[in-house]
Amino acid sequence: MSQNIYLPNLAQIIEIKDETPDIKTFKLKFKDQAIAESFDYKPGQFVEFSVFGEGEAPFCISNSPTRKSSLVSGAGIECSVKRMGKVSQALHELNIGDTVGIRGPYGNGFPIDDLKNKHLLFVAGGIGLAPLRSLINYCLDNRDNFKDITIVNGARTSKDLVYQSEYEAWKGAKNTQLHLTVDCNEENWTCMVGVVPKILEQLKPTCQDSVALVCGPPIMIKYTLPVLLKLGFCPEAIITTLEMKMKCGLGKCGRCNIGNLYICKDGPVFSYSQLENLNYEL
Amino acid sequence: MLKIITKEDLHKILISLLSGFEIIGPRELSHKGIFYEPITDMKSLYWGEGFATEPVKKFFLSPSEYLFKGRYDNGKEVLDDLPLTRNKRIIIGVRPCEAIGLTLLDKVFNADEYKDEFYLNNRERTILVGLSCLKPDKSCFCTSLGGSPESNRGLDVLIFLGGNEFIIEIITETAKEILKNSGRDLSQAETKAWELDRKRRKESLNYRIEVPESLDKIFESEYWEDVSRSCISCGVCTFLCPTCHCFDLVDEKRKKLRCYDGCAFCDFTLEASGVNPRLAKKERYRQRVFHKFDYFKKNFKENLCVGCGRCIRFCPVKINIAEVVDKAPLVKS
Repeated sequence: MSQNIYLPNLAQIIEIKDETPDIKTFKLKFKDQAIAESFDYKPGQFVEFSVFGEGEAPFCISNSPTRKSSLVSGAGIECSVKRMGKVSQALHELNIGDTVGIRGPYGNGFPIDDLKNKHLLFVAGGIGLAPLRSLINYCLDNRDNFKDITIVNGARTSKDLVYQSEYEAWKGAKNTQLHLTVDCNEENWTCMVGVVPKILEQLKPTCQDSVALVCGPPIMIKYTLPVLLKLGFCPEAIITTLEMKMKCGLGKCGRCNIGNLYICKDGPVFSYSQLENLNYEL
Repeated sequence: MLKIITKEDLHKILISLLSGFEIIGPRELSHKGIFYEPITDMKSLYWGEGFATEPVKKFFLSPSEYLFKGRYDNGKEVLDDLPLTRNKRIIIGVRPCEAIGLTLLDKVFNADEYKDEFYLNNRERTILVGLSCLKPDKSCFCTSLGGSPESNRGLDVLIFLGGNEFIIEIITETAKEILKNSGRDLSQAETKAWELDRKRRKESLNYRIEVPESLDKIFESEYWEDVSRSCISCGVCTFLCPTCHCFDLVDEKRKKLRCYDGCAFCDFTLEASGVNPRLAKKERYRQRVFHKFDYFKKNFKENLCVGCGRCIRFCPVKINIAEVVDKAPLVKS
């Protein structure tokens, strides 16, 4: 008989970092040492995060699988959570040492083999950088497998930029560029100003041998895709992640379908060529 | 394998099986309707041509059930998996369409990657005894979806009523083992008569609809707005459907429950950010029709509808999914 697919593993919060006024990154360690050691995932996959008595919600794993062991006292995962609904509010109330439930990993993750020997263009908006951060660090840790890396990261204001402590390392990495942008100009801001699609139009990144990886709020994705197509990216070379209300993460509870595909099981990572042929509401 | 058995003898067999099985069957409850319920007095079994209000789905996917419980053990948090009920059961009087419905649910809950042990355990511990239909309801349309009033798909036994003597078709090995010493074989004339009866049942349903291969091209059609206008989003169509299986996971203190949910409800896809991709009734009703007659077919090669007619019979505003599908304004290529 199969196992209970709804039963989470218990994990302990070992570190909480305030990324922005409304985003916290939680470092978690599975209580069961065997699970802590065997838990494996791909960049772009997600977990169902339980705050017992409050509910369960999906969050992507934001650290790279190559950096699990760098955490204090053994392997663990990181999830960045924006204070938003019932579960994320409850999560924000938690403290170091508190116990949560983790099911997963779920979803397909990024198609890493298809990215090898390509120039990579990462396009992130707000907390959309979370799944991309996992992939960026994965690529930097396997640097020779990939060509130039360009990161375009935008947020509403400079206060809303996540993972700021890693920007120096990204800028300093081999053949890697980081472009930061905020929606409106601010005092003492020295990077770019303007929404992400506009910045892409200015930067004109090459589409030759390139794959674009886009993750951000739906409105950003909507306006970024046409820009990438105009820059010459073919639909197969535009990769994005989608979100919808999810419950089970297993392709059963029936919410998160776009056309006949379930975001939880068949996604959350899709190529634009896949989405072109589907009927869906988003 | 075919056998003839009297109603009294069948009741006797069921009574003798009560020691090893829970017996569930249709009962007529005054002023309420017909409901599948645990039965100990076989005389209360309903053998008429009416249809149960709720499908047998509820014995496989409960309207709400616990999936696990958490507790503290000396200050340490633990999660307890819930022991599965292994008790064997026989559900008798199941209509052929409902048994087909279960084979469709199998595709979801017995999927390769993630197997739902609660559902599978309920399937494994249950013997299904079907009752073939003689007088389909005016909302029945099973034959348009590959079913039939005398289909034995998904059943262990199928009963054909005829006066005081029942002809039983014994389909699975499990059922053969249980019934090996019961009833008598059919004479040649009786077999002939049964074949005729079976044909008559098969042809008893004249209403047929055209189910399109794909609805792809009419996703954006105004048709969905028109057909969903009267919907009051009550969700009765989803709860009473033998194949609707959408659910919610709900925390109750330190317990996790799975509860029926449905695409008809306006908060089904409401996101924490306030975004709701299926805010309008037309989007929700379209999702229901597409899930059943397009998406599921793309994924599993069958429609997610068995034509039982419950959603038509019980819709408070008379939305008729058979008509909606039949009259879909398909773009002819």
